[in-house]
Amino acid sequence: MKSCTGKVLRVDLTAGTSIVEKIPDEVYEAVLSGKGLGAWYLYKNIPAGADPLGPENILGFTSGALTGTGTFMAGRWTVVCKSPLTGGWGDANCGGVFSPAIKQCGYDAIFISGISEKPVYLYCDNKGAQIRDASEYWGLDAVEAENKLIADNSGGKIPRVAVIGQAGENVSLISGICNEGGRIAARSGVGAVMGSKKLKAVVLAGSKPMPCADPEEVKALSKELGRKINKMWIPKGLGGGIGFMGIGMGKMPSLPLDGSMTSYLFREWGTPSNTPLAITSGDGPLKNWSAGPGEVGGLRMAFDYNPEKINKIEESKYHCYSCPLGCGGRLDISGVPYSEYYETHKPEYETLQAFGPLCVNRDMNSVLYLNELLNRAGMDTISAGNTVAWAIECYENGIITKEQTDGLELTWGNWDAEIALIKKMISRDGFGNDLADGVKRASEKYGGKEYAIHVGGQEPGMHDTRNDPQLGIHMVAEPAPGKHTIGMAIQYGAMSLCDICSWAPPATIHSKKNDLEATEEMALTSKANTCYSMLMDGLGCCYYAEMMGVHMYKAIEYANAAAGWEYDGDHYMKIGARIQTIRQMFNVKHGYEPSKVKLPKRMQGMPPLKNGPLKGVTLKNEEQVAMHWKAFGWDEKTGHPLPETIEALGINRLMEM
Amino acid sequence: MAFKRQPEFKYENCVSCSICVQACPVGALDLTRPGKSGRYRNLFPELVNERCIGCGLCAKGCPMECILMVIPYEG
Repeated sequence: MKSCTGKVLRVDLTAGTSIVEKIPDEVYEAVLSGKGLGAWYLYKNIPAGADPLGPENILGFTSGALTGTGTFMAGRWTVVCKSPLTGGWGDANCGGVFSPAIKQCGYDAIFISGISEKPVYLYCDNKGAQIRDASEYWGLDAVEAENKLIADNSGGKIPRVAVIGQAGENVSLISGICNEGGRIAARSGVGAVMGSKKLKAVVLAGSKPMPCADPEEVKALSKELGRKINKMWIPKGLGGGIGFMGIGMGKMPSLPLDGSMTSYLFREWGTPSNTPLAITSGDGPLKNWSAGPGEVGGLRMAFDYNPEKINKIEESKYHCYSCPLGCGGRLDISGVPYSEYYETHKPEYETLQAFGPLCVNRDMNSVLYLNELLNRAGMDTISAGNTVAWAIECYENGIITKEQTDGLELTWGNWDAEIALIKKMISRDGFGNDLADGVKRASEKYGGKEYAIHVGGQEPGMHDTRNDPQLGIHMVAEPAPGKHTIGMAIQYGAMSLCDICSWAPPATIHSKKNDLEATEEMALTSKANTCYSMLMDGLGCCYYAEMMGVHMYKAIEYANAAAGWEYDGDHYMKIGARIQTIRQMFNVKHGYEPSKVKLPKRMQGMPPLKNGPLKGVTLKNEEQVAMHWKAFGWDEKTGHPLPETIEALGINRLMEM
Repeated sequence: MAFKRQPEFKYENCVSCSICVQACPVGALDLTRPGKSGRYRNLFPELVNERCIGCGLCAKGCPMECILMVIPYEG
């Protein structure tokens, strides 16, 4: 593939050695790079039953097939491993500038196995790789360590750093890996795997050229997209009205939307634009997934999280590598009286929802501070927020006592206690130690399992499955369960996949009640959404590019120009199906049984909510998941990929390479 | 030495994508220049030290064609 280097770096931390491995071109043809390359490599090289925190587990840092080709919005890096949180496939994805830095060292991915005796970091540049002592960085938070590593390795090319904070060092199972001052690849417990290997950081300072078959064609596509985005604007001050918009959306049927809509919102406010909308529309879970907007003061809370408030303290926009949109930002939080930090990255919607409405917390300042604390510690805000919400509900119901919480009054809306608990979780202190491995393990110790919201061990993203049953399919059927990013009805409605894929159903205007049924059309929709998301992951593209739709963000045209191919959409969707099937095969190989993964009762509407936009909704999730598996050619009862499907996708031959 | 080229930025079309920053082999560029006007508080690329070797990789990589390689006028 002409947009990839054809090489990966393999590091063994036990032996203290590294080698460069060549990857056959057929592998890129079959699974691209990024998550696809990672799935192929890990399936082949991690033995069945390997301890996720042991030396046999492999931690992979992968770039995308389009990264560095001039393609816009293709700067995502994906971390892959066997997840210590779920025991199955694990991956996490992040923006920033680390993805091109991998390629500029001459690799498409870096795979790390073994365990070092003492803390180390991996340094790579044009000359090769070195494993260096990291004792002076161990114990620093992710931002301090990154700044020091850049300063200590400066003098030429700006080094790019992926690093763990205290949460990863403490092998918290809900920890991630950071870059660019606390932007985090957060899910699946990837930080715990890095911490278990005593690997503090990966520092990349290469400057090799990044290949591309037709850079002029790629640039032309980017120029067209950049011009469109540069013309986008929304009248100032509309943020306060988003909550009202949510009330309307909660009552409306499911609508196909123009792909540019989210781009307008994200360019103006970033993902915080979704918070008021989610609170009032039913999209965002409230009070540990137990309440409708009316029970938590929905509209008032929507104003509390008005994104205009965030814009007022935004010092500058933050753009990931190759992104013209710029949904990120740097915020001035010097006005938050209890914060020892002056700046933070703009919190994502997920963080705002998890520590705000999910915990019935109306103080946005506290969430800004929590955002910085967790980013520096390298802890997943989604998992941490769900865990704190569980602890509050347990405390309110007498399952956990004040003695057990080390004196913390964990009541709804008590943001002071939220902050104190998060600090305890980061440092694994007392009660916090038991919560630092996520809600499943905490509830196994303390009880309150009915309040523990997790899917297969991982806490779900902040979008309510009762509002979007298709999301419920993905959260269960996804090999790394609980993820909210793989597919949603609103995402599908914006993508126009039927225009590039012969079997993808068109998005239609329909009653949301239709989405509650298990139909073949629904199964094909969720399959198509999954395949396109896997394609984007293999290419290294952002899901906000995916949500622009195929007419605005021309992923197929980009891929053909960069790789020197002439494939159609069906071919690329088959690549997506192949990547997803290999990830599921990884789970089966490691004894992770897909059929045992269930949505928590609350997320299925059992019992249904009594008021609000989700009133009376109950899902048929198990039937829908079975049909989704069948659409993929997997066993509809077990979720195991069928032998004929594996053969038809050419995976058997691929695994012999 | 006297005729070494340097990047000159045309910020009107710049989208702050940082492709030029990452393309620079010597770390001479960074996104540090605040936008002069406009609502989007973007940071734009600029030379941040004396390391520029005039290679032109920043200009070659820019999809928006915002960078010209010129010989700086020192009169």
